[in-house]
Amino acid sequence: MRYTEFTPFDLWLLAQGLGVTIGLFLVTSLIGLLLGALWGVIRFYRVPVLTQVITFIAEILKNSPVLVQLFLVFFGFPAFFKLNMTPVNAAIITLSLNTAAFVYVIAVSSIESIGRDQIEAARVFGLTRWQVLRHVIAPQALAFSIGPLTALLVNQLQVTSLISVIGVMDLSKIGANLNLRTLKPFIVWTAVGILYYLSAKLVATLGAKLEKRLRAHSAFRGL
Amino acid sequence: MRLDLTILAPHLGFLAQGALLTAEVCALALIGSVILGMLVAIARTSQLKWLNGLAFAYVDLFRNIPFIVQLFFFYYGLPELGIYIDAFTTGVVALSIAGGAHASDVIRAGILAIDNGIIEAAEVSGLPRRVIFSKIVLPIALRTSVRPLGSVLINMILTSSILSTITLNELTGNAKIVASDTFRPFEVYVVLLVVYAALTYLVSIGITLLHRWLNRDMQEQVS
Repeated sequence: MRYTEFTPFDLWLLAQGLGVTIGLFLVTSLIGLLLGALWGVIRFYRVPVLTQVITFIAEILKNSPVLVQLFLVFFGFPAFFKLNMTPVNAAIITLSLNTAAFVYVIAVSSIESIGRDQIEAARVFGLTRWQVLRHVIAPQALAFSIGPLTALLVNQLQVTSLISVIGVMDLSKIGANLNLRTLKPFIVWTAVGILYYLSAKLVATLGAKLEKRLRAHSAFRGL
Repeated sequence: MRLDLTILAPHLGFLAQGALLTAEVCALALIGSVILGMLVAIARTSQLKWLNGLAFAYVDLFRNIPFIVQLFFFYYGLPELGIYIDAFTTGVVALSIAGGAHASDVIRAGILAIDNGIIEAAEVSGLPRRVIFSKIVLPIALRTSVRPLGSVLINMILTSSILSTITLNELTGNAKIVASDTFRPFEVYVVLLVVYAALTYLVSIGITLLHRWLNRDMQEQVS
């Protein structure tokens, strides 16, 4: 027996898919932000070989399709390294690394946006390299990078839809299943699209709020 | 666990066929998205409120909904309207519409960056509005936005890998077939990753050269 009509349960399915999408988005964004920031710090310290390796990996990750990266992790790694890989694990690994590559670029440019004279002045005052990073560079770099980071995260939210291809039950996969069952593509994909759109708007709004807050010190106060 | 790339040798021709299809799709979609982007950019810089709002809605919508959802919307939805087109055409149309949203932002920025003095000079010379737009504003805007349009193209090359999900056998689609033929997914996808990265790198070099050549008379300002 096949239900070709929409049932109230479909709403629950969509909510579940949205939950999986947002959950994976939050987890991978967090890992990506931490990893990318760490790579940025490694570059700041100019660690000899590691810096070049990281730059190369970040270049490759930025300039290749996420879909191919997903296939490499999901189909390639188990065959080559003889390990088990669930779709969710593959999705988390790929999306985290991909986010990290873009965060790395933003981190590097926001660290470089701070004038050399500030760093030199702090060094002359006897601050260690770590103290300079922690108290002089980090607060300013964070305020500088929040705009690009928001744009990146809005983009990464849409990239999560690709994991449906390797079988993670996210919003797109639920949409595909509903589409196959009901054969009403217009309604299904419109609903899925609206959910994605609203989530993206939410991320963008939160980012804008945070940016306003972090930049409050330098905002124009009026005459 | 040995990386053996020689097993790919007999499949190189097949992969090259896929690469050719990718290039074809991207070239057509680039033309489509630049034309669409131009029209939308004109609408967004016009003084008609409703036209402006309509163009903004289009850009906002197609930038905030994942490409895979848009693609499935067209691929499954259009036949329901009685429009039967193959995967290739659907792919080109979907890429053009999504790329058009990005391209319109770039061209709009190019139009807004034009010095008011140039337009005033043209008005004083008695040129009609249509001529000012098509002979003065648009050429300058397109010329200065070659480089950002190049990153739209690179993004499009990466996004075109998603077309493999609607049975279009471009580079990624063919690689998937080779991977399941040879049982060597790791080698196939590693090579694919490098090929995509190299391809986009070459395109970006080409774009930079083209940009420099087109803007050779205003070298200092643009460089």
